[in-house]
Amino acid sequence: MKNLLEVEDLRVEYRGRPIVDGVGFSLARGESLGLAGESGCGKTTTALALMKLLPDGLSQQGSIELRPEGAEEPIRIGKRTEVGMQVVRWRHISLVFQGAMNSLDPVKKVEFQIDEVICLHEKGVSGKQVKERIADLLTTVGLTPKLGSRYPHQLSGGQRQRVMIALALACRPSVVIADEPTTALDVVMQAQVLELLERLRRDLGLALILISHDLGVLAETCDRIAVMYAGRIVETGSVDSVFSNPQHPYTKRLLASLPVIGGERGLAPAIPGGPPDPGNPPEGCSFHPRCPYSTERCLEDPALREVAPGHQAACHFSPWSSWPKVEPLKVGEGL
Amino acid sequence: METREVSVTFRQRRRKVKALDSVSLEWRRGEVLGVVGESGCGKSTLARALLGLQEMSGGEVLLNGSPATGRRELSDLRKRVQMIFQDPYQTLNPRQKVGAIVAEPLVVQGFGRSGHEEKVQRALSDVGLDPDTYLDRYPHQLSGGQRQRVAIAAALVLEPEGLICDEPVSMLDASVRSQILTVLMNLKEKRGLSLIFITHDLSLAWSLCDRIAVMYLGRIVESGTAVDVIEKPTHPYTEALVAAVPVPAVGKGSARALLEGELPDATDVPKGCRFHPRCPKRFEPCDAVDPSLVEVGPHDQLAACLLYDPAAAEASAPTGSVPAADSSGSTRGAA
Repeated sequence: MKNLLEVEDLRVEYRGRPIVDGVGFSLARGESLGLAGESGCGKTTTALALMKLLPDGLSQQGSIELRPEGAEEPIRIGKRTEVGMQVVRWRHISLVFQGAMNSLDPVKKVEFQIDEVICLHEKGVSGKQVKERIADLLTTVGLTPKLGSRYPHQLSGGQRQRVMIALALACRPSVVIADEPTTALDVVMQAQVLELLERLRRDLGLALILISHDLGVLAETCDRIAVMYAGRIVETGSVDSVFSNPQHPYTKRLLASLPVIGGERGLAPAIPGGPPDPGNPPEGCSFHPRCPYSTERCLEDPALREVAPGHQAACHFSPWSSWPKVEPLKVGEGL
Repeated sequence: METREVSVTFRQRRRKVKALDSVSLEWRRGEVLGVVGESGCGKSTLARALLGLQEMSGGEVLLNGSPATGRRELSDLRKRVQMIFQDPYQTLNPRQKVGAIVAEPLVVQGFGRSGHEEKVQRALSDVGLDPDTYLDRYPHQLSGGQRQRVAIAAALVLEPEGLICDEPVSMLDASVRSQILTVLMNLKEKRGLSLIFITHDLSLAWSLCDRIAVMYLGRIVESGTAVDVIEKPTHPYTEALVAAVPVPAVGKGSARALLEGELPDATDVPKGCRFHPRCPKRFEPCDAVDPSLVEVGPHDQLAACLLYDPAAAEASAPTGSVPAADSSGSTRGAA
């Protein structure tokens, strides 16, 4: 069986400069893929491109094919026009926007906002059916249907995030993209929302693309992970494989900089510098100016290639059998 | 520094909100103290109270054993203890240059003009910013990490003995986060600073703090050394917090005891133990008896839970059915 979603060579440009550069991945039914990376690496842009919701000025190329259950022909999102997208968005693929606090309309009741989504994307649903579905949706995301008659400001952050997820599920899509769904939430609330997403995936057979800068969140909820840096996927593979045996220096350094309770205490060695300016990316491997292992060869662009079964990395020196020790940086010298 | 039974009450229309309820805390010289808890638990109010920025309805703040109450004492306190905030995008005046921002505390505290420049330069180089490059820049020309460094430099310029960091890295990307932490820990070594980390990130608190205080609804519910509190939590709330931390590693904690519900409204603190409505281990008198901090382990580990205070529980429960305390403690650490 073909994959539910196939993305190939996705490019997004702003004034001729690539923001997302040759991103490709696939997603099977019921699978969850994590997109990891720091702000500005193109995670959110990728999500918006999948929905064809990019702001003016950004142009996208590349093939995005969606095969919902029962469909004979794939939906070629890459080639759809705005009008053509309106029957795809929310019906087949939906997005939980970043920042639950700000994405709901403050002057409309929750049930009205869900009602709006259903009526806009599905014609000919009766008022009674819509009411029932709103109650169902709220129950699905763990809220009492009574909350439907409230305004967003009367809800807590966690409740609002649940409403956002209910909105994304309103038209029973097969793919849901969640952009930093837990960033604004506390640890306890975060764990609750992640468990909800996990349950929905199991019960409804949803395929999930989870975007987060928090590697811990992705490790706990995803089957596969793609690490992005400066608009490209630099490493991808199963969560187990990438976390136990990272093959790109960026992933390796990032994991090493995160404290893990029960592991080693104290200060982890920092990665020097900051993410590159997308308007002026470094030559060759975009991570090489910050990489402790870089050599002259890194001025050449490394390709994303298979380094272990089902595990790809874009580094000339992969597969790494061992990682040379990195001296911690001192303030004033490189920091 | 020390707080003794500090309470802060806010008025909200006719209701009273107890943001802090008899909080006693010691902050020893040269120590890194972590204050953790969900948002709304009173962490930031505590920080404000420590600096005399918050009117207290009871209790006192002591600096080196003497109360900091009068104008003179407060001014002295604020010279010796400085604070940095969460959001480096909002704390810097966009119309001032870095040099002026860092020098401002000197002006406010009435230091003579001479020597400003030298102090500013020293503060900037201590946070890893080259004074020649950055003195004449505006905040918008800086990245998030650089802005946070400027904020730290401005706090340092008065050469304080203590620095209160309110979520210093939660707005920053993973790679920049470890840089800022390196800067802060380096300052602790180099200038002998005492630090308070206010954070909701338990793994961060565990890796860098000497001692930790866990807050819930305006009270400290558990305190002790960082290793004890996080690896062998005794209070059910701390256990739940630790269990909710996502782990960036394989072999993730799949069966987690998740806390249900949300932090109750501070206007309506539950009777008895304030955690009991969400507590998985509640028993008979928890809804009637308000537990106080009792010793639960070596190295001054304290927890406010009736499980560890059978006497208080017995006193009000004539049935005398107090379950034995679970001495294995940790949910994840033990596994």
